[in-house]
Amino acid sequence: MRLGTAKMRRETAKMDDALPRSATSGAVWLELDGERVALLPDRAVWWPRTATLFVADVHLGKAATYRAHGVPVPESTTASTLAALSALFDNLDVRRVIWLGDLLHAREAQQPVVLDAVFAWRCRHAAVEMLLVRGNHDARAGDPPAKLAIPVVDEPFNCGPFAACHHPQRVSDMTVLAGHIHPAITLRGAGHQRLRLPCYWWQPRMLILPAFGEFTGGATPLATRDARVWPVGGGAVWPAVRP
Amino acid sequence: MPRAKRGEVDSASAVATPAVTTKKPRIKRTPESPAAAWLKSRGHEPFEFQRAVWQAMAESRSGLLHATTGAGKTYAVWLGALQALAAGQVPPPPSPVRGKAKRALAAPLTVLWLTPMRALAADTLRALNEPLAMLAPHWRCATRTGDTSPSERAAQTRRLPTALITTPESLSLLLSRADARESLGSVRLVVVDEWHELMGNKRGVQTQLALARLAQCNPQLMVWGLSATLGNLDDAIDALLPRAPIAPARAPVYWPTVVASGEDAVVSSGEDAVVASGENPVDARAPWIVRGQIDKALIIDTLLPARAERFAWAGHMGLQMLPQVAAAIDEHASTLVFTNTRSQAERWYRALLDARPEFAGQLAIHHGSLDKSVRDWVELSLKAGKLKAVVATSSLDLGVDFLPVERVLQIGSCKGVARLIQRAGRSGHAPGRASRISLVPTHSLELVEAAAAQRAVAAGRIEARQVPRASLDTLVQHLVTVALGGGFTPDALYDEIRHAASYRALTPGDWAWCLDFVRFGGPTLTEYPDFRRVVPDADGVWRVEDARLARRHRANIGTIVSDAMVTVQYLRGSRIGSVEESFIARLRPGEVFTFGGRLLTLVRVEQMTAYVRRAASGAAAVPRWNGGRMPLTSTLADAIVEEFAAFDAGGPRGPEMQAVASLLEIQKRRSALPTPEILLAETLKTRQGWHLFLYPFAGRQVHLGLSSLLAWRAGQHVPATFSLAVNDYGLEMLSATPVDYAALLPMLIAAPTERADDCAAGLRPRLLAEVLASLNAGELARRRFREIARIAGLIFQSYPGEQRSARQLQASASLYYEVFLKHDPANRLLHQAQQELLQQELDIERLASTLAAVNARRLSLQPLKKPSPLAFPLMVERFRETLSTESLASRIARMVTELELDAGGELVGTDHAPVATLIEADHDIASTLQLGGAGEGAFKPRKAESRRMSRKNGRARPSQDDSRVDHVDGVGLGMADGVGLGIAVGDTATGAVPKRHVPKPRLARWPRERPATHVESDAPGDGEDALGDGKDAPGDGQDG
Repeated sequence: MRLGTAKMRRETAKMDDALPRSATSGAVWLELDGERVALLPDRAVWWPRTATLFVADVHLGKAATYRAHGVPVPESTTASTLAALSALFDNLDVRRVIWLGDLLHAREAQQPVVLDAVFAWRCRHAAVEMLLVRGNHDARAGDPPAKLAIPVVDEPFNCGPFAACHHPQRVSDMTVLAGHIHPAITLRGAGHQRLRLPCYWWQPRMLILPAFGEFTGGATPLATRDARVWPVGGGAVWPAVRP
Repeated sequence: MPRAKRGEVDSASAVATPAVTTKKPRIKRTPESPAAAWLKSRGHEPFEFQRAVWQAMAESRSGLLHATTGAGKTYAVWLGALQALAAGQVPPPPSPVRGKAKRALAAPLTVLWLTPMRALAADTLRALNEPLAMLAPHWRCATRTGDTSPSERAAQTRRLPTALITTPESLSLLLSRADARESLGSVRLVVVDEWHELMGNKRGVQTQLALARLAQCNPQLMVWGLSATLGNLDDAIDALLPRAPIAPARAPVYWPTVVASGEDAVVSSGEDAVVASGENPVDARAPWIVRGQIDKALIIDTLLPARAERFAWAGHMGLQMLPQVAAAIDEHASTLVFTNTRSQAERWYRALLDARPEFAGQLAIHHGSLDKSVRDWVELSLKAGKLKAVVATSSLDLGVDFLPVERVLQIGSCKGVARLIQRAGRSGHAPGRASRISLVPTHSLELVEAAAAQRAVAAGRIEARQVPRASLDTLVQHLVTVALGGGFTPDALYDEIRHAASYRALTPGDWAWCLDFVRFGGPTLTEYPDFRRVVPDADGVWRVEDARLARRHRANIGTIVSDAMVTVQYLRGSRIGSVEESFIARLRPGEVFTFGGRLLTLVRVEQMTAYVRRAASGAAAVPRWNGGRMPLTSTLADAIVEEFAAFDAGGPRGPEMQAVASLLEIQKRRSALPTPEILLAETLKTRQGWHLFLYPFAGRQVHLGLSSLLAWRAGQHVPATFSLAVNDYGLEMLSATPVDYAALLPMLIAAPTERADDCAAGLRPRLLAEVLASLNAGELARRRFREIARIAGLIFQSYPGEQRSARQLQASASLYYEVFLKHDPANRLLHQAQQELLQQELDIERLASTLAAVNARRLSLQPLKKPSPLAFPLMVERFRETLSTESLASRIARMVTELELDAGGELVGTDHAPVATLIEADHDIASTLQLGGAGEGAFKPRKAESRRMSRKNGRARPSQDDSRVDHVDGVGLGMADGVGLGIAVGDTATGAVPKRHVPKPRLARWPRERPATHVESDAPGDGEDALGDGKDAPGDGQDG
């Protein structure tokens, strides 16, 4: 099967016709264990049948943590991260959010300047049910305050055919959705061009989400022969490439 | 500090020439001064320049002493100091009899001796100690550098010695001590050794700030700089001496110059009368430049390749020349082999041992990453004449005298005339012997360079060094240092730092921003009370209150940016040195690497220490130390074009040009030769895309800015993405999409028409706007920001003890860059990144003059069918810049399409149907992957693994130390011209071929902790490109 990019984009667009265009344009649709999910360009996975959104590695309060340690980082990363989440909730049918770990960056993130903003944002989306699968940063940062109404569970958390985790791992007979890695991939092209982009990383029984947070880096995982990668950038999720 | 002024500007031009100055000897001869007596007791007659310095110091003058290496600069200043400062404290002893009572307590700290390199400190200490017994028995000297033992440090904390030999970084550390003012207040003299090495970089700026601080504690402070070959002595002394900012009227500054040659020493004519009559209308303590003219015979020659026509067109290891180098070493009792990088030193050391096994025990390696004990052993053995040869980097460039060395070999380009002379001076140190340096080319064009270097030395053309201006990152660091060292009040400190030449013109706005930055983290952070690095106390004195911040700051003082270092140590036993963490992280236990000239097996890595044991044999990896590459100076580049022109004109040819003749004939056949009159441009279409090669010969740094500008201009016509490569000769623009360079070129190189009044005012607003726009489209500023972020305290170097807790604070400079760009675009550190680029690399004036020069030449556009010898090194250059005027989406789209085509047109997972099938089909693969359960085992964090992954994921990427020559897609590099192209892939001469990177299926392993340095280590050439003055040497001077 040989397709040009333009044709692929048309195909994707055709599929999106049934849905609100603005919300999932540029997304890639996958069928995992019989469930149709969208890999959104906003770096979250949407499962429309259950109106669930999976978001990994938000790292709220990372900038505040740095400042607490005397490193001058401007604060507005939290605000813009929350705004990006709100936009998703507003445009898609989202009744439930499962945070795949590392919601708060560190203990120092649990301070008013961060939590007040998060609380105001939580109140705005009070109707959305939220659940945090504990990640390594959450273990250190402590559970979010009760008033945020985000219960915390340990990985793996089973929902339908999916096992929601933070660390990539294998859970028998389940498809693991995980974060932690902040996967990124370097694309190389003619003319010595290269671009490093965050990506969705798939290998059998496992889908790793890119980090949602803004102030986060990325690592390139070890490639396996059967891994598939969807780069994210320029407002779209791109067709899979082999890493 | 006094400043010397003269009313009439014209008199400044009356700088000494021997004809004028030999008329009136000025230096008083006091035949039996204690210093002279001591020198005579050692069988030396004092030189005139030494007497001149003694007199100046007796008169409490500051100054700059400029003489060739080995001329006796150290004793000129040191004996002067002993006479001027020690004599007053006790009566000079009549004979070298040691009084017992005087040993009781040494005099307080009086002299600070700054040296740019740790390696020099021990040698300087030995030299300074020698005359003490006779001239100042109550003085005590000691060193304090990064190599100083903790016990010695503790002793110094209790009481500092009379004379302290230290580095700029260690001095800053002393300034950060709470009792800095008291302990350093007694300093009466600061000597800055090898000032020419420091003045052009931020370590020099750091030194300026420290001097301003010391001068503030003691207004009578004397400062003496020692300098070797330099083109701009006036700038050097101006930057060295702290002095009040000049009034807006800009009084002309004039430095009296003392030329001391042979018998006579005179002050230059302008000041003659003043000194002669013993009075100075301005200030009797006006500083002097003392110039010791001791000419030393210098021989420069070149080792020629055996078969020049088979010699490599590119590559930089140069092991093809191994037989000639080994033969040259055979000829002499002792030889120094200089390389330009530490990796190259390691490779050459192994290769020489392989070629001459009998050298074992007489061949040593020396570079800044080796442990002090190793370096000391090499230096002492070399001095004692026990070594046949030492392979060294710039760590042996300076200071230390090695009498037995008869000849210096320079592998690869020396990059500059001053550096060539400096290195040559390492040989023939005994009186009456000539210095001899032999250049060893690593590829054909370096033969031209060798000929050009000889031409430039013969003509006496030596580079000038520019002093950095107002680097805010260094100032921010200094503010925290001073806040630790007893605190400061802003007004007083503003006044103080403007005594440093680099900050004389610092605006109140910039100053206020720096204060805000250390207090609030910058204007945008004002409302966040959690950030406080430096805060004013009740009395308005700014201090650092947080002990943790204080500790971290002290650990990070310095302006040399290096990656986290890992100590290399035998399993039980001695330390060998240190390498960058990113290198060790790529190795697995059991793998072999070469370090310090030894083959070592990695056993394990623990707490920033790599434990190793000796390996018998094996294919060894060579560590790669980061560090910029030195740019070729424009002085040398100009000389190269002249060589080309002379060749073209068919004049007499030296042996180098004869050797390279066949290559230049190919250049003429395929294209043309560049000359001072012709601007050569070449175009080429390959599978990689559309290439343009342009040869302005303006040096690497200018080409970097020029290529960005040209690419940005080209991108204004059609949005495109360019990959840019530069070297010292020219630049390459490569686009994956068609570009008609032939049609565009006149527009690309046009100099923008500026308004006449702007030009008159020295402004070039249109060019500046274009350059700034090109900066934003490219990555240059982002790279530059890395260094700035470290110095300003945004990024911390990891150090033992705080490893774990610091992890959550690790972020890469590029991450900061993006966050600042988005949320704090007014951040002045971003501006500094741009400013530094504009000043140091994209100097608008220089760019404008380059454009003018380029336009003045006749354009010769040559469409190529095959790469020309000049184009080839650019094509295979792996450190490239990217500049794009396209949208991110269209860039991704093109690459994704290409990747699909590369993969045979197979499309996977583009919509849900194929992926679903794919997932089903892969079920059985999953079961064979042994992913293990959800347990830890399968996904145990392994840093080394994750590093490896990022490497394997790329295409085959030979390390920097493999030959620079990559494959060149779709280019016919044949024998069609009847002349073979010796392409040095992995230095075929030794049979060392780079390993093929065959991607293998691997087990999935995920790092549990994500090392944040990933982001940086993955960036191509991050910190390796020649940005600024970073080179191999700074690593050697790392200290603190």
